[in-house]
Amino acid sequence: MPKAIEIENFTYKYPDGTSALSDITLSIEAGARLVLIGPNGAGKSTLLLAMAGFVKGTGKVLVDGLEINRGNLKKIRSRLGCCLENPDDQLFMPTLFDDVAFGPLNMGLEAEQVKARVAEALQTVGLAELGDKAPHHLSAGQKRAAAIATIISMSPKIITLDEPDGSLDPRNRDNLVKLLKDLPQTLIIATCNMNFAAALADRAVLLDKGRIIAGGDAKEIMSDSKLMAEHGLEVPHKTE
Amino acid sequence: MHMANELLSVPVAAGSAAIAAAGLGFICRKVRQIITAEKLALMGILGAFVFAAQMVNFQLPAMPGTSGHMVGAVLLAIILGPHMGAIVISSVVIIQCLIFQDGGLLALGCNIINIALVPSYLGYFLYRTVTAGPFNSLRAYVGAVLACVIAMQGSAALVPVQAALSGVLAVPFTTFLITMLGVHLLVGLVEGLITVAVLGYLQQVRPDIVVNSLPGKVRLSKKAVLATLVIFTIVIGAGISLLASDKPDGLEWSYAERPDQPDFEGIISNDSPTIAAADKLQARYSLLPDYSLRSSVIGDTAENHVEASAGWTSFAGVVGSAATMVLIWLIARVLRKKERLQA
Amino acid sequence: MHHAHIDKFAYQDSPVHRLDSRVKFIVVLVFTALVISLPRTSVSILACYAVGPFAILVLAGIPLRFVFKHILLVSPFVLILALSCPLYDKTPVSVAFGPFLWNTSVGWMRCFTILGKFTVTMLALIALISTTRFNDLLTGLQRLGLPRLLVIQLGFLYRYIFVLIDRAHRILRARAGRRLRRLKFRAELQIAASMLGSLFIRSIDAAEHINIAMQARGFDGNWRTLSKLQIRRCDLFFLLAAVVFMLGIYFFVKPILL
Repeated sequence: MPKAIEIENFTYKYPDGTSALSDITLSIEAGARLVLIGPNGAGKSTLLLAMAGFVKGTGKVLVDGLEINRGNLKKIRSRLGCCLENPDDQLFMPTLFDDVAFGPLNMGLEAEQVKARVAEALQTVGLAELGDKAPHHLSAGQKRAAAIATIISMSPKIITLDEPDGSLDPRNRDNLVKLLKDLPQTLIIATCNMNFAAALADRAVLLDKGRIIAGGDAKEIMSDSKLMAEHGLEVPHKTE
Repeated sequence: MHMANELLSVPVAAGSAAIAAAGLGFICRKVRQIITAEKLALMGILGAFVFAAQMVNFQLPAMPGTSGHMVGAVLLAIILGPHMGAIVISSVVIIQCLIFQDGGLLALGCNIINIALVPSYLGYFLYRTVTAGPFNSLRAYVGAVLACVIAMQGSAALVPVQAALSGVLAVPFTTFLITMLGVHLLVGLVEGLITVAVLGYLQQVRPDIVVNSLPGKVRLSKKAVLATLVIFTIVIGAGISLLASDKPDGLEWSYAERPDQPDFEGIISNDSPTIAAADKLQARYSLLPDYSLRSSVIGDTAENHVEASAGWTSFAGVVGSAATMVLIWLIARVLRKKERLQA
Repeated sequence: MHHAHIDKFAYQDSPVHRLDSRVKFIVVLVFTALVISLPRTSVSILACYAVGPFAILVLAGIPLRFVFKHILLVSPFVLILALSCPLYDKTPVSVAFGPFLWNTSVGWMRCFTILGKFTVTMLALIALISTTRFNDLLTGLQRLGLPRLLVIQLGFLYRYIFVLIDRAHRILRARAGRRLRRLKFRAELQIAASMLGSLFIRSIDAAEHINIAMQARGFDGNWRTLSKLQIRRCDLFFLLAAVVFMLGIYFFVKPILL
């Protein structure tokens, strides 16, 4: 079984020359739930974009055993679903149904299959009744769930999420944790909320200033108070 | 300024709709080849930007209490090019009509021509003409202001023309035209200044966005604003004094030419023979030809005796309609209550 | 600040809401054309025409207060032009209306016709919009021949109006919080320009993100949607009723009133 993600010596500079990611080497097992933690501006979002082939730097990026190049982007993106930070960017169609159907339709599925996938995805995130709603009629929590449904409907093997806990109240955040824990896919989640990360992840990678500082077992890394404080993070509260 | 249904006749509305549809169809086909997938989202968002931008208002000079806002057609045409600008503003006009009921369904064709197509192309053309050649800050300033003013004038002039062709209004064509042009001269000037200011801001913060249309700095300097204001004051003043001496007031004019002719239509709406001809044409081809006043509905002219029966039928019509509406409303209410009780 | 109220009634459910958007659109278009082409001085027949859209609105359960507030909101331009009519056309005319008799001018009658037509056509348009989801309307319009590019534009536009208006509100609130006194015109202009500029830049950034979201879901330039429109029997019934109503007034009521 190939690794979900393999990155070797990946380096990327912004157009203005400042370094965004330098010499990233990372390997993620299939089925893992991994959090990318790090302070603001550490390069978490850029790394997620690199995994989906939106950022072209030097080095190698393999998704599900497939090296990203210009020719196979469509294939890559049917295996790796990438959910952006702001649900308003992710939900761009007039109704929720159309949004969730957008991916499957682009994969070339038949109408009946698309409908089945949309129904299933909406069921999974708990919005089964709301397919006909317009995105601007949804609450913040519903928007977040809807954004995830747009990815699930494509049934990718890997899902990346950028700060999915942003602007959610504790109850919605708990619901999100439950939802994400039940997903069978490999999850790669960027966040700077350590409680959220601790509740969810089995693996963690600490990123700062575009470099990987530490990687490994989530509990181990996040309980190292010295390491966390050095990079502007906190140790999660003990739960359970 | 949005044209309204009520100021149009069906032939004029249909004609404008046909022109607007043909124009938009042509642009869409032309643009399809140059629009890349990533431009789709950009154009849609910029349409929404135009809406949001209209909420950002600011105090106008010399008129406390009034505020202006940007329309954005020329700005978009300068940044995106005229085709894409025209499509974006057209979609804005369509949404304004459908969602916010600005202007009517029948006036949509006119509004697309007036607000989207004419300003986009006229504005772009003027800006490009003035700024052709090596970059020069003054020329960019003059070009943007001029583009806004002239484009606004062009679109403002079309409203009275379309209304006159339809012959619905009693206001004389010239009066309406002059009022519209005068008001929009000021609107256009403010639009021009704000367009320059926004272009300047964008050039400063994100030069990559405006690299094609504004390669160098343009500033809204105090002197430039003052000079523009002075020039416009002179132009407006000269225009008003010329008109005042040259033409009789529209009001006087409509009194002066009110002989007791049997044919009222000619004087009611307009003076020029072209418009009278258009009126006749319209009477011939409109869905329901216009009835002359004498045989008209509700009333009758003073000379004739009022036909009591005519008065009563119209009374019955109105009262009957009102009664029907009340009945419908009551039935719906009862039904809904029943529904609620069942639920 | 929430702007969802603009279209909230379109998401209700009623027999009218379930009608096909194409049928509704065409009926409203023809209705508007009929009303506009009425003689310039006929007020009473407008009342008969008003029954149609009124019935639809009531049937669909749209609150009438909302409707009239909306009409009032968009009326200023028409109101000014209509009120200018009495100034320019003072041909005297006496109007008999049931037991009443007024001496007035043709201008006033024109004024009232214009306002009447405005109200009736607005009723029809609001009846269409507040009973049809915008998405369905767009799909219908595309089937009726609106270019696809424009349909996509309108979809995006409709979606992001709400987002950007909220953003504009936030910017405006920030300005209101900081500006304590009236400023000179040029300063006002500069501030407005930087607000508009930053709004513009944010719009462009949002467009970039949306573009990433689209490509991440396999978008390759071909716009694919599933359309759900189909004409059912009740649509045909509605069409028939509308035709009977309009023709009925045209052929039977109008000759009596005129």
